[in-house]
Amino acid sequence: MVDVSQHELVPEHIPIEGAELDSVLEEYGLDRTDLPEIKANDPALPEEAETGDVIKIVRDSRTADTSISYRLVVE
Amino acid sequence: MTEYDHVTDDIKAVVEDTELPRRLRRRVYDSIEEREGVTTEQADEIARAAEAEYLDARIEPLEPAGTVSAQSIGEPGTQMTMNTFHYAGVAEIDVTQGLPRLIELVDARKEPDTPMMTVYLEDEYAEDREKAREVVWALEATKILALGDVSTNVADMVVRIDLNEETLLERWPTADAAEPVAAEIAETIEDALGVDTRHQGMAIEFGPSEPSYRELLQLVEELREIVFKGIEEISRVVIRKEELDDGEEFVLYTEGSAFGDVLRIEGVDASRSTCNNIHEIHEELGIEAAREAIINETIDTLREQGLDDVNIRHLMLVADIMTNEGTIESIGRHGISGSKDSVLARAAFEVTVNHLLDAAIHGESDDLNGIIENVIAGKPVSIGTGDVKLRMGSMETSPADD
Repeated sequence: MVDVSQHELVPEHIPIEGAELDSVLEEYGLDRTDLPEIKANDPALPEEAETGDVIKIVRDSRTADTSISYRLVVE
Repeated sequence: MTEYDHVTDDIKAVVEDTELPRRLRRRVYDSIEEREGVTTEQADEIARAAEAEYLDARIEPLEPAGTVSAQSIGEPGTQMTMNTFHYAGVAEIDVTQGLPRLIELVDARKEPDTPMMTVYLEDEYAEDREKAREVVWALEATKILALGDVSTNVADMVVRIDLNEETLLERWPTADAAEPVAAEIAETIEDALGVDTRHQGMAIEFGPSEPSYRELLQLVEELREIVFKGIEEISRVVIRKEELDDGEEFVLYTEGSAFGDVLRIEGVDASRSTCNNIHEIHEELGIEAAREAIINETIDTLREQGLDDVNIRHLMLVADIMTNEGTIESIGRHGISGSKDSVLARAAFEVTVNHLLDAAIHGESDDLNGIIENVIAGKPVSIGTGDVKLRMGSMETSPADD
């Protein structure tokens, strides 16, 4: 089986919760449903991620070193 | 900071105190390092100057970033070729270029006009041409005409295939002899056409169950389409030797794509290989990879046309919007523009009457929050200074002030 996370196009996907999540939502003044979405069957999702979780995505950015983005796991 | 010899703690404190992002702070440190040490005052001056430039380059609040992006991609688009075909970078493989390719990407077409893959190889496969060939044969769809001669004998109502022994051994590198391969081919034909075959040595013969000239020709037609080895979608593979920093490697370019299948083939480097179909990338690697692919493909298309001064941020914005919902959505009336809340905004884009009619039937209302709606209504648009609201005399004054 191919390990999708090893592909150079795939950035790191890290589930976040609790205080870390709250501080992110507060910083941007968002509700979690305002976040961009990622489908629950997305091949790059870590196995433990479930619908409703928020995933932190650490991209290699073209305009900065790394850029951090968040997606909500949806059906 | 251990990696810099000339950056003192004071200088560091000064630089860290600015609003510069990390990447720019590091650039400042690099410059200071290059000059082999500056005084803290000079460092402060450098950092302040860099910060001023940076703040100047940041967009203002309420800037219509989307509209600016649309213009910044649209204008260079007028300079692009309408020409569809071009041999891009890779010899011998046709890929759609220019405006048609850009439209194909933002429309999120299911299949690109000219699907192709860039297949990188692992370790020994990338170094040895023979090993690379093995992967080529595993990829390229092999049909009967590549393996031998086909002749029809109308008198005996048989189709005869004379296989070329050398070709068989070349294309099935794992086989010791051509005989078992020929048997395998005969079996494939039996399964695919539902006929009985007789085979002896390198010759295979078969015919229709009832003598019928039409059926005989039909069998030959079908025989030509059978894929004996490789992946049906991939019609051609080109091997190229490419220079690396530390040596050379073989890279394969394919006409046609089947990304998922290819990643699972032995010898293929599944961490670098890509294809030009954003939907295949989405399916195999997920939405984030699809976002990257959209950015790469659009900027490459522009660069190919010499339009490399389009800022990458515009394309990143396009990719972000296209992948916002977790699936790839097209820009346009079936995608982003068609899913806007405002009736007037949708009607202004395409098929005006349909949108207005539907809105009337369903009793939709428009809150006039967006830009297009307000342009239509002749009101200030809600961007820039148009969105700033001043309210006068709304502060409650306490009696004590009077």
